[in-house]
This record gives sequence, C-alpha cells and structure tokens, in this order.
Amino acid sequence: MNTNRRWIARGGATLFALALLYPLTALFARIGAWQWGEDIRGPALSSVRVSLLLTGCAMVIIVAIGTPVAAYIARCGTRERLFWQAILLVPILLPPLAMGILLTLAFGPYGAVGSWLEHFGILMTNSAPAFVSTQVYVGMGYYVLGAVAAFDAVPVMLQKQAALLGLTPLRVFLRVTLPLSRLGLAVALSIAWVRAIGEFGAVVVTAYYPSGMPVQLWVNLQSFGLPAVMPLLVVFLAVALPLPWLVHVLAQRRRHA
Amino acid sequence: MLKAHIIKKRRELSVDVSLELERGQSLGLFGASGAGKSTVLACIAGIEEPDDGFVKLDHLQLFPPSLPLHRRPLGYLTQEPGLFPHLSVSENINFGITKETAATAEQKQWIKTLRDRLQLDPLWSAPASLISGGQARRVSLARMLARKPPLVLLDEPFAGLDRQLVRELIDDLVFWAQTIGFSMIAVDHHAEVLKRLCPQRVIVVEQGTVAQQGTWDELYGSPATPSLRSLLAPI
Repeated sequence: MNTNRRWIARGGATLFALALLYPLTALFARIGAWQWGEDIRGPALSSVRVSLLLTGCAMVIIVAIGTPVAAYIARCGTRERLFWQAILLVPILLPPLAMGILLTLAFGPYGAVGSWLEHFGILMTNSAPAFVSTQVYVGMGYYVLGAVAAFDAVPVMLQKQAALLGLTPLRVFLRVTLPLSRLGLAVALSIAWVRAIGEFGAVVVTAYYPSGMPVQLWVNLQSFGLPAVMPLLVVFLAVALPLPWLVHVLAQRRRHA
Repeated sequence: MLKAHIIKKRRELSVDVSLELERGQSLGLFGASGAGKSTVLACIAGIEEPDDGFVKLDHLQLFPPSLPLHRRPLGYLTQEPGLFPHLSVSENINFGITKETAATAEQKQWIKTLRDRLQLDPLWSAPASLISGGQARRVSLARMLARKPPLVLLDEPFAGLDRQLVRELIDDLVFWAQTIGFSMIAVDHHAEVLKRLCPQRVIVVEQGTVAQQGTWDELYGSPATPSLRSLLAPI
C-alpha cells in the first residue's frame, strides 16, 4: 500500500472510530454538576468490586468449561457441529430480560436445581452465585463460538504432524493448537468479558443484589438522575476496558515474537 | 518388516493396493497424479483411515484397529513442510524429542550431525515462519530424522524445489537410510527422482490398483501399460 492510500485508509478508519465513539460526547452534555458524594461513591465503588471480582470468576468458569467444549466441537463433522452451534446460539439470541426470567425460574427456590442447591446453602437468586451463573450463561456462547473459529483456523495437518512426532492428543493441544489459536481465543474471551460485565437485563432479574456496575447505573439513574450516572459511567469504562484490551496486546505481542 | 493391504474408497477412485517391505529396504510408489499413491501412504501413516485391509509394522499392528498417531514409529514427510510457525527452527527439530532423550550425548551428537549435514547452522535460532521454502524442507527432514524412525514415508517431498536442492536432499536421505537403517516408501510421479531415492524396487499404481511391480530395469524394459510407457518417456 503506497503512502497516499495508507493515509486515505487511515482517514477512513478515523472517521469510523469517531462515529463509534460519538455517543460518548453526551458525557459533556449540560445535565448539571456530576454527583460523586459519599452516598453515591460508596455503592458505586462497591459495584465496581462486585463486577470485577464476579465477572472474573465467570470468565474462569467460561474458559475452563468452554475451551474443551470448543475443542471438541471444532473436531466434529458438519452435522454435529451445526447442532452444537444451534444450541450455543440459544442463550445469545434470547433477550437478556427473558434470559433472566428463565434463569430465575430454573435456578430459583421453586426450580428443581435451585431447591436442591438451597439444601447446601447456595442461594441462586440475589447472591454472588446467581450473579456469576447469569454471566456464565450470557457469555459462554460468545466465547465458545469464537473459540471454535479460532481452533478451526489451526491446520489439521499440523496437529497430525505433531502427533506423528510422538505427542499425545493433550500435548498436541497444549503445544500446537492452543498457541496457534491464541489470538482468536483472546478475541473470544474479550467479547465474552465485555458481554458479561456490561450485562444488565438478565442480571437485574437474577441478582439485583449484589449490585454490579450496570445495575448500579440503573439505581443511580432512578434515585439521583443523570448527574449520578455519568461519573460511574466513566469509572465503568476505566475498569472494564483495560482487561480485554490487555488480552489483545499480549496475544499480538506473542504473535509477533 | 512392513506388510500392508490398503482398501480405501473415495468418491472418484477406489484404492486397493498390497505391499511388503523388508527392514532397511526402500520402495517407490510410482504413477500419475491422482492414481492413489498418496492415499496408500496416508493410510499407512494413519493420516487417513483405510476402509478395510491391514497395516503391520514388524510386530506392531497399525490397522485394524487404528493405532493412535503418537504411537506409530514412523516419519512422514509431504510437500508441505508442516513446520510449527510459532516455534524456532531448533524447537521444530527437537519437537518430538523428550527432554530425557535430548539430554543424552548420543542424541546431542545426532542433532549436531543433522545440523551440519543439512546446513542448518545459520537458521538454528530463526523463527520457522520466516525461513524460505527450501530451508523449510530441510528443517522438516531434520525434524523427522531427529527421532530416528524405523520407517520413513515420503509423499512427493521435493515438489517445487530446484534440481540442485533435490539432488542434495536425495543424497542425504539415501545416506541416512544406510546410516540409520530405516525402511523407506516414497511417492513421486517423476521417475528420475524416485529411481534415485528408491533404486531397489518400485510399484506402479494406476487407477488405485497395482499395475506392475519389480525393479526399475524391468519397468523400463517392459512397461505394463501404455500410460506407464508414457510416464517413463523423456519429456
């Protein structure tokens, strides 16, 4: 690409980015002085802790379960793969509110699993497990579908060559498949993270408490109005963005290493 | 000793080929493109699974049932070098070697021999993704030989390379076949290449079946089919 074309392409990408970020100009709207007093700051910081900690737990579960499932689906024949992909699309396609209602009914005290878990003292509504399980449900499909695509991109022949060099299937996965798919896995993980940490519709039904950042934004809007929403919005961007971005940075670095 | 009977039905071709190979000997599979030679080799390697038949290497049953790839004592080289692009050249060559084996003096000496003979010294630390096609073939050959497999399968490994490099690689392979004592089956549709690589015996595959087998002299002396005569004729 010559220099002129590069600058034209860069200009186009800049316009695209500006359009994408345009809604953020509303942060400068005249809505009165932003409120960040103790009555707002305390619950807001608590919601940041809840969101980061519990979304982190959800990501660990998603990666631990989703990675082997994705590796299996990537090796399936066309028909079986389409079947699994249809199943993964269900939680993605459901409106978040509907997902929250279904989760509450299925895992709540009146559902079979919910009442069974309650025997062990695990409450599946308005609790940390409810929060985490909701995020797992909303984020899992995104991660697994992305991970399947990432595994698909690794040439099968390379994996067979590795096996013929004496590596067991697990070692082939760890030494060839996983390193060669890391960029795709990073993208899948960051999408799942963004989807989960920003989830409101499902979480507001299953886990109003402990409040994560999206629910706290809603509470602030209802209780104090827009001036109490904007600072939390800035905090949300500041804490939610770095982790998925860092994953991309690390994956790119190792790609070019 | 390798004994195999490969039956594999494909959409456009049915392959039915039997072959035997004594330890330390070489065998060429010759025929036109699409005759089924590569399918036979892939089935012996385990890359593809035969529909029927058997594959036995000494006392080890490779098929049936299909023995997992990692337990097959063989090396398989194709026209795609198949290097691991996220690793360096040296990591590729040592890929199939356990840490314990790599630490032995004998293995270290063997890797050094490969390194010197294949002129890999200047590439040793380079990322495998950045070396040329010809260099990649040399690296993949070294990687396969690093484990000293008793059986080596070559599926047109020299396609697209210049004659000088092909000559060098054939000389290397013949040298190591004698040094290590591995058996070798090679597939090619260039008689000249195959004859140098496997001078002892050749099987001609046409339309998925054995059309002729014997020595190269017999093949050149009385080719069994008109298409074989055409394949053997100089360009």
